[in-house]
Amino acid sequence: MQDLPGMALIRFDLILESVAAIIAYLISHNANKAYHMTGQKKLSDLSTGFLVLCAAMFGRVIGTIYFFVLMESGDDVSLMITVVTIAYGGMKIMAYILFVFSTLPAKSNPIAEKGLLLALPALVDPNLDFVAIIVLLVVVLLSSRNYLSSRSKYALYVFLGFTCLLLSHLAAVLSMDEIGGYLLSQVLQFLGFLLLLVMLLKAGREQ
Amino acid sequence: MKSKKPYRSKMRILVDMMRTILEEGENGAGPTKILYAANLSHDRLTQYIQELLEKQMIAETQLEDSSRAYRLTEKGEEFLKEFARVERFSEAFGIEI
Repeated sequence: MQDLPGMALIRFDLILESVAAIIAYLISHNANKAYHMTGQKKLSDLSTGFLVLCAAMFGRVIGTIYFFVLMESGDDVSLMITVVTIAYGGMKIMAYILFVFSTLPAKSNPIAEKGLLLALPALVDPNLDFVAIIVLLVVVLLSSRNYLSSRSKYALYVFLGFTCLLLSHLAAVLSMDEIGGYLLSQVLQFLGFLLLLVMLLKAGREQ
Repeated sequence: MKSKKPYRSKMRILVDMMRTILEEGENGAGPTKILYAANLSHDRLTQYIQELLEKQMIAETQLEDSSRAYRLTEKGEEFLKEFARVERFSEAFGIEI
């Protein structure tokens, strides 16, 4: 495993992914705590969304490590790659859909919600990044609207965080398997989670 | 015609009451002050004050003129701080509580 080219990059990627997963878990924990305090169901959906995202990212880290173990033993890895890729993409989309429903204002447009659900059949498409981009775009638009109406710095961090996540998916799609684009995608995802972490810390500390 | 008054959850009403009491400082707040500040009916006020007393968020004191006043307990102050954190977190995602 150590002699393979690009191994340092993969290690760096796995570290970023693991730290992002821990941040997602922290946000999920805080949202769950807030749900138990207030009884607001949207906070429960938000918590579940971040928990699913956390599981997806840890799953990818474990899957990647397992991939190298299988490769070294000479086993067939193609099925494993397919399973990890689809599970990772599918779980991310599931998390983003939960974000849409948790951040939708109370009196939302039911037609828009139905339109979002129509995207679900596309989940079988192997190119899951495109579906993630569409759903995440809705999340970014909702968070931008929340920021513009509240002008709260916490809402700004959330808006910028989700924007970075959207850009990371765009970079992944546009990179066309180029290593630079892939790395940019991972760094943008990490930056998005860092912004969410800053929001979490600031909201928790300030009086 | 529908009322345009925004919906207030029970939690929000309790927090409004506790914040009114906190603003009054060590002397505490009387029932009338809480009633007007939290915009409640008398029945609701009695019910919610009882609930806050049972949960030990507030404590009742008898004043010299035999009227009652309520002050926040340490547990109540801690709860308000935690609620403020939850409020900032929820608002960051545009979730109303």
